Amino acid sequence: MNGLPTDAAHPAADRRQFLRLAAVGGASVLLSAAAGTAFPASARAAVGPDPSTRTRVYVMVVDGCRPDEMTPRLTPRLAALRAAGTNFPGARSLPVMETIPNHVMMMTGVRPARSGVPANAVYDRAAAAVRDLDRPTDLRFPTLLDRLRDTGFTTGSVLSKRYLFGIFGERASYRWEPSPLLPVTGHAPDNFTMDALIAMVDGVDPDFVFTNLGDVDRVGHSDVTGTTVQAARSAALRSTDGQVGRFVDHLSATGRWESSVLIVLADHSMDWSIPSNVISVDQVLSARPELRGQIQIAQNGGADLLYWTGPAAARDAGLAEVRSLVAAHPGVLSISNPAELVLGPEAGDLVAFCRAGWRFSDPWVASNPIPGNHGHPATEPIPFFISGGSPRVIRGAVLSEPARTIDVAPTVGALFGLAPPTGGYDGTERAAAFRS
Amino acid sequence: MTQARDAAGRHPQTGGMSPFNRRDLLRSAGVIAFAGAAATTAHTQPARAAAARPGFAHGVASGDPMPDSVLLWTRVTPTPEAQPGSGVGPDVQVHWEVAEDSGFLRVAARGSVRTGIQRDHTVKVVPTGLRPGTTYWYRFNAAGATSATGRTRTAPAAGAAVDRLRMGVVSCANWQAGYFSAYRYLADRGDLDIVLHLGDYLYEYAPGEYQARDVVVRPHDPAVEMTTLAHYRRRHAQYKTDLDLQALHAAVPFVVTWDDHEFANDAWSGGAENHTEGAEGAWATRRDASKQAYAEWMPVRFEPGGHIYRRFAFGSLASISMLDLRTYRSQQAASVVDPAIGSPARTLTGDAQMEWLLNGFSSPATQWKLIGNPVMIAPVRFPSTLSAREVGAVEQLLGTTTIDGVPYNVDQWDGYTADRSRVIGHLRDNAITDAVFLTGDIHSGWACDVPADPLTYPFNGASVAAELVCTSVTSDNLDDILGSPPRTTSLVVEEAFKAANPHVKYLDFDSHGFSVLEVTPGALRMDWYVLSERTDRAATSRLATSWQVDAGTQSVRRAQ
Repeated sequence: MNGLPTDAAHPAADRRQFLRLAAVGGASVLLSAAAGTAFPASARAAVGPDPSTRTRVYVMVVDGCRPDEMTPRLTPRLAALRAAGTNFPGARSLPVMETIPNHVMMMTGVRPARSGVPANAVYDRAAAAVRDLDRPTDLRFPTLLDRLRDTGFTTGSVLSKRYLFGIFGERASYRWEPSPLLPVTGHAPDNFTMDALIAMVDGVDPDFVFTNLGDVDRVGHSDVTGTTVQAARSAALRSTDGQVGRFVDHLSATGRWESSVLIVLADHSMDWSIPSNVISVDQVLSARPELRGQIQIAQNGGADLLYWTGPAAARDAGLAEVRSLVAAHPGVLSISNPAELVLGPEAGDLVAFCRAGWRFSDPWVASNPIPGNHGHPATEPIPFFISGGSPRVIRGAVLSEPARTIDVAPTVGALFGLAPPTGGYDGTERAAAFRS
Repeated sequence: MTQARDAAGRHPQTGGMSPFNRRDLLRSAGVIAFAGAAATTAHTQPARAAAARPGFAHGVASGDPMPDSVLLWTRVTPTPEAQPGSGVGPDVQVHWEVAEDSGFLRVAARGSVRTGIQRDHTVKVVPTGLRPGTTYWYRFNAAGATSATGRTRTAPAAGAAVDRLRMGVVSCANWQAGYFSAYRYLADRGDLDIVLHLGDYLYEYAPGEYQARDVVVRPHDPAVEMTTLAHYRRRHAQYKTDLDLQALHAAVPFVVTWDDHEFANDAWSGGAENHTEGAEGAWATRRDASKQAYAEWMPVRFEPGGHIYRRFAFGSLASISMLDLRTYRSQQAASVVDPAIGSPARTLTGDAQMEWLLNGFSSPATQWKLIGNPVMIAPVRFPSTLSAREVGAVEQLLGTTTIDGVPYNVDQWDGYTADRSRVIGHLRDNAITDAVFLTGDIHSGWACDVPADPLTYPFNGASVAAELVCTSVTSDNLDDILGSPPRTTSLVVEEAFKAANPHVKYLDFDSHGFSVLEVTPGALRMDWYVLSERTDRAATSRLATSWQVDAGTQSVRRAQ
């Protein structure tokens, strides 16, 4: 990695600026800058506060990682980082335990009822279609990426998944568009993501970077040995661990480690099901076509969001029947109103969670063939620790505090002295991980 | 009876160096006439003679600590005639005080309460308005006598960060089978926040019915199987004359639950293995009597008509849910192949307690969810490689027949698999982390995973909780039944059990002693201490092994 800028121009029709940086093996990494944000004249020049006093903060999401998978044997670099910092072993994801809403909660510090992002997939009533929440306009709340930028800090997003890149839009000062995207998974492999992160740090050195590493999740989804030996998953964990280690080594080699805070967590964990443990609400309602015709289903792996589309006058009675029929399925754990889960209207009228070892498959019984899923309560536990070389980080601590994905924004915001957003955070600043 | 009380009175001084030990207990009690005698003649003074004097012959105790209160207990003997279970004696006003120092210069609370024959002259008070996470001293005064001074400690404030919780863990203390050295060693430590007693605090048997192998080390009083209220009261009183037990009660607050022997062996909602309906009265009457005596004589927030299952929190570090697995349970299955074992119509916990237990798991307020669990929940299958003699010994230990490959004890959760499935399913479906069952009953030490699915566990090691089982204080175990020296023939049996049950990581079928559990945010560790000889008043103690559960793993591993 040399990290030098090779191109500061891009023939784009919009007002963004582009910067092409060299990466490992002669490859290049293309960054874009938000409108109004300039690339530094020298890509190696520090941007922001006095380099001698600045704190760099990196939030690194090991997508889909279970806390019990982070072990000295399987993930030695991550385990060592955790041991060297402050660990929150009781940390959990929040409903719906999917990628997009939990990344949004990390960056906003508020629950979906305020952000407008309750799940990966929702039924868009205006468009009359089920779609991913992957548009910048889907996110109604300011994020750390733009709030810090607006107060003079520089921020970056290095997100391996296409839909994450989509929803966070141009909020960061600098962002990487994931590439190459693998077909089917829609994500860039972790080695490319890490190339981009290192290139961004070397090139424009943001004060804060938000990174998603997608391999562990994407491999986990398709690991047919998930209920037993988890062979492919384990290989992905080892590989991703190496990428994280590579980043730490790079920070050390470039003199940034002593000013760095790393917050490492997952957005959700993963649960595997066998092919017979499938719940199809479509199938459950097949004997009641008059009900089925009034319901739209947004399937989110371990959760189904159900939307009443029939006459308003029949809504309450119809939903009560749907609830009763779906709840009777042996694989269904619970059915909640979205308000009970602080999800907001985008989540529809009912939220069904499956039990551990099950999955939803809708709108058809064959729609979801993948063994690894999340979204349901079995996938709430996540790794969550704060480490780094910064003297602000408390070392070797383990805390009982129930950290949540939503705590990232207030915690990072406090490190930069950022005021809470209008209406305050829903999350909690995890101040106990830092020296005051 | 005289012989038993002689034995109780002849406890050796231990000379422990902890801040508050048996010697301190006796010294602090010196103002009481009988206890003053005990301090100088403890080796010769019959307990009955001591108890015959006005005063506080049965010591003091505290229990069930909460952030702003803790329950205090004693029993007053206002006149020589007012013996436990006698129904004789005047009402008496008992004064109590709680102080922040052992000299009672900074009194935090004081009051008085009246007691009499209606509660066998026992006293339970709950001072409130105390400060959380604070050590207090307490004592009682009545009829011119002052009790021993007890030390206790309130629980940390709700939600407070707590670095460490350390507790003694004990069960199965049969007076007739030996001396309570385990209690002495716990009392002498001086570093415990609580003592968790998981049941079989006392036994119902008559002398000669259940002891140390064939030897009655010290006979029970009364010299009959306890079946009436007077019997239960006298038996409780006898146990409370043990100076090691008195010392531990006076040094550390207890959190207790009962198992079967507080009532009768293998008790269930409608009877017990060791109850003959009619000949021994009606079960309901006997059960009510035992519960009344328990409420009177134990430092527990339980009164007849209420329920003993309850939950405590220690800041954000841990909660402890204490279960009652006798009051509501269906009758044990007839055998290990009885299909009723899996019937959802049968219950171990009862519906209300089950709902309470499951709801408690889901609270985000505390990290470790500890369960005071009187009988084992981990599935245990009987191995097929044992000799007939070994099989017979295990059957005697369990009190059941055994068949290869099927559950080995239907008095445990293994005999109520529908209820166990609800618990395991709830833990798994909701990904409850850091749940640990702390168990007694089975007179042996175990460290186990609780598999999410026993069929796939050998491949994926998926565990929803850990289970740590303390051994008995004195009650017989496998080597006693086999008649073998400790740690000889039982080793083969233990290896066979572990091979047949790969989630069982540690098993000691022989030793007697106690456990110490240390809970921190990063890990929970249990140390198993074993006694040299339970029938030796001066038994030594040594650390046998330690196993731990790292936070977030739900799995046991040997501590380094």
